[in-house]
Amino acid sequence: MYGMFLAILAASIATVFAGIGSAKGVGSAAQTAMGVLSEDSSKFGKMLVLTLLPGTQGLYGFIVGFLILINCGVLGGAIPTLGQGFAFLGASVAIGIGGMISGFAQGKAAVSGITMTAKDEKNFSKAMVSITLVEIYALLAFIVSLLVVISVPGLKV
Amino acid sequence: MKQDRKRILEHLQDSALIQVKSSGEKAQEGFRRKDTASQLKQFERNAELTQQALHILSRLSPEKKGMLSSFKGRKEIDPDEIGRIAADSAKIISVCQKICQLDKQRADYAAEQVRIRTSLAQLEPWRQLDIPLNTKDTPTTAVLIGTLPKAYDNVQLSEALAKECPELIFEYEILYTSPNMTCLTLFTPKKQRESAEKALRTIGFSQPLNPTSRTPMVKMQRQQQKSEEIAQKDEAAKEEIISLAKYRESICETEDYFILRSEKYKVLSQLDQTNHVFVLYGYVPEEDCKALEALCQKASPSCVVDFGEADEDAPIKLKNNKFAEPAQSIVTMYSTPAKEDIDPTPILAFFFYFFFGMMFSDAGYGLLMILATGLAIKIFKPDKRMRNNLKLFQYCGVATVFWGLVFGSIFGDAPAMFYNMFTGGNITMRELLPWPILDTQKDALMIMILSIALGMVHILVGMGCKFYICLKQKQYAKAFFDTGLWMLLLCGAAVLAAGMAFAPVMQTIGLVIMIVSAVGLVLTQGREKKGIFGKLIGGVASLYDVTSYISDLLSYSRLLALGLTTGVMAQVFNMLSGLFGTSPVGLIFMIVIFLAGHAVTIGLNALGSYVHTMRLQYVEMFSKFYEGGGRPFEPFSTKSKYFKMKGSKES
Repeated sequence: MYGMFLAILAASIATVFAGIGSAKGVGSAAQTAMGVLSEDSSKFGKMLVLTLLPGTQGLYGFIVGFLILINCGVLGGAIPTLGQGFAFLGASVAIGIGGMISGFAQGKAAVSGITMTAKDEKNFSKAMVSITLVEIYALLAFIVSLLVVISVPGLKV
Repeated sequence: MKQDRKRILEHLQDSALIQVKSSGEKAQEGFRRKDTASQLKQFERNAELTQQALHILSRLSPEKKGMLSSFKGRKEIDPDEIGRIAADSAKIISVCQKICQLDKQRADYAAEQVRIRTSLAQLEPWRQLDIPLNTKDTPTTAVLIGTLPKAYDNVQLSEALAKECPELIFEYEILYTSPNMTCLTLFTPKKQRESAEKALRTIGFSQPLNPTSRTPMVKMQRQQQKSEEIAQKDEAAKEEIISLAKYRESICETEDYFILRSEKYKVLSQLDQTNHVFVLYGYVPEEDCKALEALCQKASPSCVVDFGEADEDAPIKLKNNKFAEPAQSIVTMYSTPAKEDIDPTPILAFFFYFFFGMMFSDAGYGLLMILATGLAIKIFKPDKRMRNNLKLFQYCGVATVFWGLVFGSIFGDAPAMFYNMFTGGNITMRELLPWPILDTQKDALMIMILSIALGMVHILVGMGCKFYICLKQKQYAKAFFDTGLWMLLLCGAAVLAAGMAFAPVMQTIGLVIMIVSAVGLVLTQGREKKGIFGKLIGGVASLYDVTSYISDLLSYSRLLALGLTTGVMAQVFNMLSGLFGTSPVGLIFMIVIFLAGHAVTIGLNALGSYVHTMRLQYVEMFSKFYEGGGRPFEPFSTKSKYFKMKGSKES
């Protein structure tokens, strides 16, 4: 039973913290983008792309959370042991914290990218690539979480 | 010959074959330049005027546009129609002037309304007053009208005045009070006027700023009447502008016409000419030389066309087959290739489609993309640029279908989900599909290895391009030592990794290759440094670059991550839509959630896949070989926004 509690806690940590990172990142990017759009609404498409870039962390967190839920007896799978519950918890910390902080950082990069694109639309692709540079760290955290989560049901702990 | 100048220029503009280049700052010896600055300015001013008018029109009577109209191609018109547009242009310009003038009038009206509103607000406190604000004294009584900067009621005011001047006889009426203002009229015997004024002044009395000879009520009514009149005029002006909206299409055409003319005059000012001949210099793509010659002969038999080798500064025109052409825009978005670069479009196109497909990885979504883009191309007949963009996504869609089938994902696990829901079975996609699939969730590790292996191929292809470029430029040391050895090292690492999975012999082979190439790198990378130690240290330090290759390779794990994201999101929405059971109401919920959920999944993940496949090309592959920085080929052509000539080549 404690195992399941820990697993649900893990799912929450992964989803919430990574979500916080994305929410803050997308929020500040959207604020800047709206400032740009108030001057020139024809840039909406490009602004939308740049604004959404810091949004992936939340998705990664959600996916780890979901995978935990379908493996811990809530949406399927067997009820985990205490050891497996701790393993879920450990895995969720990676994407939770990694996603949150990289979300903050990517949000800042997105704000700069948006102002750069507002000045000259030719900068768009450069801005986009520079913003995705941050993403790799969220990705690495995600993959660590993912590899642990999918192997937990087979762990004998 | 000069008399053919107009014809030749028109033909060149329609054909869009040549990028005009002026022969230098000044005309060459014996030639003159025609000064077209004033005409050019006139055309540009007209074009600007039409733009302004269109802007006003779109504000007051917006054009009804469908959501998908941005896919639509420009209207095709007959070249003969240009004559009609030219003839009408004077009339249309006067229409535009009328629109701009009316709009300016409306701005004036708006300013006047603000002024009236302010004066009404000033008069508001005096509404109760039934004598004019500038009423003079009667023979016996002094009249004082004004405001005090504080709220008073009758008692307070009497007390305040009595305190200031005990012997004063007065009668007053408070008309209006607010926390920081009291309006009053005060009557006092004429001989006491001065002491009354003094008493009032000490408590802050001031007279109204702009007294009038009419009672405030009448004045206010007049102002209101005026305001209504202006509103009517404003409405009339607005109506008139809207009534002019029927000219919108002609205005668009006229704008294009003036842009066209100004393009032509820009070229005209760059021509070197004498009284009888003129010379035009420009760049032509090699393949179009024949066409250009034929065209000039047709336009003017006396015309002489001479071709030479392009100089260093020549612009670049990319030419690709049907498969790669849509990806050209991705290359040019990064940078146009420089003269010494190879055109990376074909390689980029393949990997772009391939990686996009792997990240989006859903057969259902891929099919939708193919159908939607196909329909858009068919129905809207878009311009070349838009068509290429749609084509890009169509090819990406094909790759998406392929990877969707490999990963066993068709709208997520929708087929299995529906099967289970209506038959009560418990089946997975792996069991449902007749071919072996890679499950993104169960075989994640396997797919990650696959992603990195594909990344290795991608990077090696990029380095291969560098190798080829260096060979072409005869920089053999750079080709073999700087690129070749690293390629060898990476191949060794790949063999080693494969050996771990399959055969121990390959491990040894891989290790040997890696050691040999690493030694080679140490020996060669410091070759430009001075002294034996410098060379050695330079060589060893270069091995540090291995970290950048590792991070490049790890970056390809996003292929797994995004593929998984699509699959899981689709699965989540499938699960949600199945929650309501198979009752009729449940089915309605199911359809709504299914459609909305998959729309969200498609939107988010298509964007993610597009951005990340682009990043893999730009950061991981282009950094290996691509320089860019070339100047794109911009032919002298009709840069019209709203129409295109029938039969003209698209730019």
